[in-house]
Amino acid sequence: MMTTADSTPLLEVVDLRKTFVDRYFETPVLKGINFTLARGEMVAMQGSSGSGKSTLLTILGTLLAPTSGTFRMLGQDLTRLTESQLSEFRNRYIGFIFQHHHLLPDFTALENVVFPHAGRVGRETRVGLERAAMLLERVGLSDRKHYRATRLSGGQKQRVAIARALMNEPSLVLADEPTGNLDRDTANQSFELLTEIQRETGTTFLLSTHDELLASRCERRIRLLDGVVVTTPAH
Amino acid sequence: MHYSVKVALRYLTANRLQSTMLIAGVAIAVMVFTFNAALINGLAEFQIQRVVGSTAHVTLKPERRMPAVVPPRDASAVRAVVSQRALQRREQIKDWRAVESILESLPDVTGISYNVLGTVLATRGQQTVPITLKGVEPQRLSAIAPIDTNVVAGEPRLGLNDILIGKRLADDLGIGVAQPVFVQSDQGRERVLIVRGLYATGVESIDARLAYVNLDTARVLFDYPDGLTEIEIKLADIYAAPELAERLADSTGLEATAWSETNQRLKDALQGQRSSGDIIKFFTLLTIVIGVASALLLTTYRRRPEIGIMRSFGVSQRFVLSVFILQGALIGTLGSIAGCLLGYGFSALLAGLPRGADGSAPLPVDPALGEYPIALLLAVVASVLAAILPARAASRVDPVEAISQ
Repeated sequence: MMTTADSTPLLEVVDLRKTFVDRYFETPVLKGINFTLARGEMVAMQGSSGSGKSTLLTILGTLLAPTSGTFRMLGQDLTRLTESQLSEFRNRYIGFIFQHHHLLPDFTALENVVFPHAGRVGRETRVGLERAAMLLERVGLSDRKHYRATRLSGGQKQRVAIARALMNEPSLVLADEPTGNLDRDTANQSFELLTEIQRETGTTFLLSTHDELLASRCERRIRLLDGVVVTTPAH
Repeated sequence: MHYSVKVALRYLTANRLQSTMLIAGVAIAVMVFTFNAALINGLAEFQIQRVVGSTAHVTLKPERRMPAVVPPRDASAVRAVVSQRALQRREQIKDWRAVESILESLPDVTGISYNVLGTVLATRGQQTVPITLKGVEPQRLSAIAPIDTNVVAGEPRLGLNDILIGKRLADDLGIGVAQPVFVQSDQGRERVLIVRGLYATGVESIDARLAYVNLDTARVLFDYPDGLTEIEIKLADIYAAPELAERLADSTGLEATAWSETNQRLKDALQGQRSSGDIIKFFTLLTIVIGVASALLLTTYRRRPEIGIMRSFGVSQRFVLSVFILQGALIGTLGSIAGCLLGYGFSALLAGLPRGADGSAPLPVDPALGEYPIALLLAVVASVLAAILPARAASRVDPVEAISQ
């Protein structure tokens, strides 16, 4: 299933649309999105509030179904999978980093990182724990791995969230304002960490950010305006 | 350990106060369940033992002869049959020696009494009272009712001219130990017997209207030189009586009656008690269901963002479902174990209270009859059922909505 050649895009989005419908209104948020992501690139997604960045990320993360259009990842049309197949795909190939870290408060840093793996295989394996410990060491938190999430600082929590997103060696990491809740220094450190990891692992990153400085340090930018992509400079 | 068990345990230990309260709630409900069972069953046992303790568990009597039906000559004629017992001969168990060999081989029999029973008029001075006279073998006097241990005056001895009578009957006749009483049987035979002892069993029918004589004396009085009028059997397990009665009726051809058939009022009373006990048990289980369900629903609501996060990194709906159902199962198991222990302890405490002057307990609670395995099973099932609704709600949390909460 996942034997696509390296030259093919990791992600291909074609005419993706999303309209939210409630009792009284129809609100079109995405109005025909087209772009591709190559393997191993780091792309910043920018746009004003309400431009559809978060909606696009949640659709690409298979948490929300589009109204129409397709998106293929690793050669697989994700609009055709069932709920359980999407859960499985998400677990194996997609990592999430949220603005508000969203760690599980009753679990330690190590347990938070190993959760995506343990939840899939049904137990905490030695291999899983070793990888989680390695990731925490990589993000500079090896001395905090047995701390409850509630005892960590904001920057530490975000680094744990980065380690958790990488736990299952995903092909794509989706980050929604990953530094938006951090001060400038901590934001810089976190972004440095992301770029280093991206270079080391070759994982594709799609980051939504308002921060021009950080966006300028990405290899490429996608700009959203009123539900459509207005610039996708060729890489 | 499966990872869902670890997560369920972590959630329970994360909020210790709430979990402790929940487990305590289940424990108290199970305690009420088991104590109620110990009380209702203990009371039933007490009543049964009071009634059945002094009577036969199975009684064998001669088979009732019905008149033969003679077919009419004209086959088309309407046939009318009048059923009535054949009265031309007195019924008796003639071949009782054969029956004796069958009874002696039964494993659960604790006592057998071979009796000749009849009605006599007992006269003392101007007082005449109709009573039932029971002729028994002297060595089997207490095989059914504990007469020897209930003798309040005289001694439990049955010579050929002796009679043992109840204290109530003695009072009615104004008679005492070593005094003569004149008896006249329904066969017209008369005899003067000496009161050898007085007993008080506490059972009205035995103390006021029954007297014991030697089996051979009864044979003479009622003109039964060989046969018996009944055989009484006492069993170790009184609840085996109906089945044994059926077997004995088949194997001996006699009419066999279990104690439960002749004590319909007791059965009705016990059934009523059991029904009211079942209603209490039902409400205790309902309490568990409502308590666990509402607490877990609150937990589900509180943990919606976390559930959303789990779902975002691909944890399956089934995993989330199992985490919450396991919480219900763990609460149910811990609560019901604690409840069973509390129920047993409380029942034992009440059962151990000092007894009254007559030897009876203040409450007839039997801690051994608390129905603990059933309580444990039902409480766990109730807790799991109660967890299904919150678990389904948790597994259906929309991750996007929950994360943005």
